[in-house]
Amino acid sequence: MRILVVEDEPDLLRGLTQALREEGYAVDTAPDGEEGLYKAQSWDYDALVLDIMLPKLDGWEVLKRLRQIKKTPVLMLTARDQSRDRVRGLDTGADDYVVKPFDLPELFARLRALIRRSAGETRNIIKIGHVVIDTGARTITHRGEPVTLTPREYVLVEYLALHRGKLVTRTALYEHLFDEDDSSLSNLLDVHVSNIRKKLGHDFIVTRRGHGYCIEG
Amino acid sequence: MIFKSIRWRLQMWYGLILVGVLAGFGFTAYQLQRGKQFRRIDDEIQRRVGELASAMRLPPRREPGRPANRPGEGFPDGPESGRPGSPPPPRQGPFEGEPPEIMDRAPKEFHLRPQQMSLFDESDTNAFYYVVWARDGRELGRSANAPRALPIPVHTATLAPSAPRMRDGFREISLSTPPGEILLAGRSVALELRDLRRTSWLLTGTGSGILLLGLAGGWWIATRAIQPIDEISSTAVQIAAGDLSKRINASDTDSELGRLAGVLNSTFARLEAAFEEQKQFTSDAAHELRTPVSVVLTQTQMALTRERTAAEYRETIESCQRAAQRMRGLIESLLELARFDVGQEQLKRVRFDLSRTAQDCIDLVCPLAEERHVNIQTDLPPVDCTGDPARLGQVITNLLTNAIHYNKLDGNVRLSARPENGSATLSVTDTGEGISSEDLPHIFKRFYRADKSRTRGRTGLGLAISKAIVESHGGTLQVASQPGEGTTFTLKLPID
Repeated sequence: MRILVVEDEPDLLRGLTQALREEGYAVDTAPDGEEGLYKAQSWDYDALVLDIMLPKLDGWEVLKRLRQIKKTPVLMLTARDQSRDRVRGLDTGADDYVVKPFDLPELFARLRALIRRSAGETRNIIKIGHVVIDTGARTITHRGEPVTLTPREYVLVEYLALHRGKLVTRTALYEHLFDEDDSSLSNLLDVHVSNIRKKLGHDFIVTRRGHGYCIEG
Repeated sequence: MIFKSIRWRLQMWYGLILVGVLAGFGFTAYQLQRGKQFRRIDDEIQRRVGELASAMRLPPRREPGRPANRPGEGFPDGPESGRPGSPPPPRQGPFEGEPPEIMDRAPKEFHLRPQQMSLFDESDTNAFYYVVWARDGRELGRSANAPRALPIPVHTATLAPSAPRMRDGFREISLSTPPGEILLAGRSVALELRDLRRTSWLLTGTGSGILLLGLAGGWWIATRAIQPIDEISSTAVQIAAGDLSKRINASDTDSELGRLAGVLNSTFARLEAAFEEQKQFTSDAAHELRTPVSVVLTQTQMALTRERTAAEYRETIESCQRAAQRMRGLIESLLELARFDVGQEQLKRVRFDLSRTAQDCIDLVCPLAEERHVNIQTDLPPVDCTGDPARLGQVITNLLTNAIHYNKLDGNVRLSARPENGSATLSVTDTGEGISSEDLPHIFKRFYRADKSRTRGRTGLGLAISKAIVESHGGTLQVASQPGEGTTFTLKLPID
């Protein structure tokens, strides 16, 4: 899952980025509206965390221009909790909002829900064969037994599960699982897949050689 | 409670006045009617008394034992007329047309002449009647319709007819004769009294009707007069309940109430504007505090999810410290503004050199200018002014910091001071982006930012505080800007 955070307060941006990365998300950052819009338009992010008060272009404007070409789920960060602002945000095309100061667990929960909904999933439990993925608790069980995955491995499984039955290309996986700061080697993906197969069974992820990976629905 | 209402009090006074007017009118009308009726009857009775007197064949005005030949003597109630043997001159009253008669005759009998008899219709109890008494109280004669048990009037020395007396529905006038007879004529006034009663009831009824109509009309007028006041008060109640956007409908602007509504409306408008401003300020202040609190929450919640290295903890703590410092700066600025708002800020008033203070401020902002590669040019001849040097230094530092902050790289800041028209003037000019004409009128407002974003270390209150400081010195702080070329802030302070 790759997320873009657009926030002009450096300490907040740094904190958010680090916290999201520790959750296993790939995170790109932008310190102002212009850069945020550019990045949001150039990549298919799984979600956007967008502050409203931004230099150069404010959050409303970024959202308005982004909505002309992309449906990326957008979570607005607003410092004003007046309903006028919330209504305006939702009407402009924001998918959800969080009022500052926010709690990280709440922000994460809203982001998960946003990503799940945009993938067409309404429940947070996904069952594939003997594997049950709880996207809310971010846990996976195999034949009823809890399986321990690294955050990156979990996100890989979740991404494939949300797109189950479809072929997910390696490029797409790189784009959604690694951010611009990642200097991961290309074989890192294969390492993750191999580790997941060890934990969830060899047939859980199907390799389409030369194309990508797939989880059969 | 109800009598505290203006409408009720108006109605009460109006009703009282109306009752008074109607009662006075009715009473007068009744009295006039009554007086007219009785005067007519009295005239009739008096004529009959005269007839009775003439029937007695008595000279009209003689006192017993009085010399008859003394001229020049008169009776108290009329000109002298009677001389023995000569006819009295024509007179008003009962003795009109009376022929001369022999004095001192004491009649034992009393008879009326036939034409006089026709004046007393004896068959009718409501017609005129008469009774004549002799000196010893014996009845000399009476008409058949005269009521029984008539009290004998007192014999008076005055030979004029007595004042009419009312007795059990009878109106009577008596006349004493010099020999001592008493003549009395009267009439039952039962019919007239009944008429008068009817008239009084009619007057009372009509009066009551008019009173009711008047009260209804008064109520209507009072209601109409009070209605705008009611509207004003109900609107005021809504406004008091918190809906400051309400206005009184002041369509009739020229009337007294229309003017009142106008005054109230403009007061409400100012109240609403002030309230909105305050609300905006509070909301802005809360908003400004939200971001540093978010930093603290995010950093600490993240740091606590697992064990961290010492360096990571250090970084978290540093972030929190920066957030706390930012909040402190904001809180200090807010408190400072609040002190200016309530006029509690104590300002020193000393004479000092504005240029020297400006030079000190430049020393303070030098590191920032170097960091931003901004060159500061000065033109600072000694300029005396009066005020609080520390506070005005704060203003100059703020203006300089802004000028450096919003300047372009390798830009210039020009600081000059000069005395001008009895005031000390200091201007700070930068070569930055300038301020657009739509932002220019707002830049002294609290939390107003032309770039709509937070910039590190800037609370958005600097210019508002600067303006408050300058204005509490009796000076002015003005701004002029050319977008793309730069901005000039001009500070004017009174010298004395």
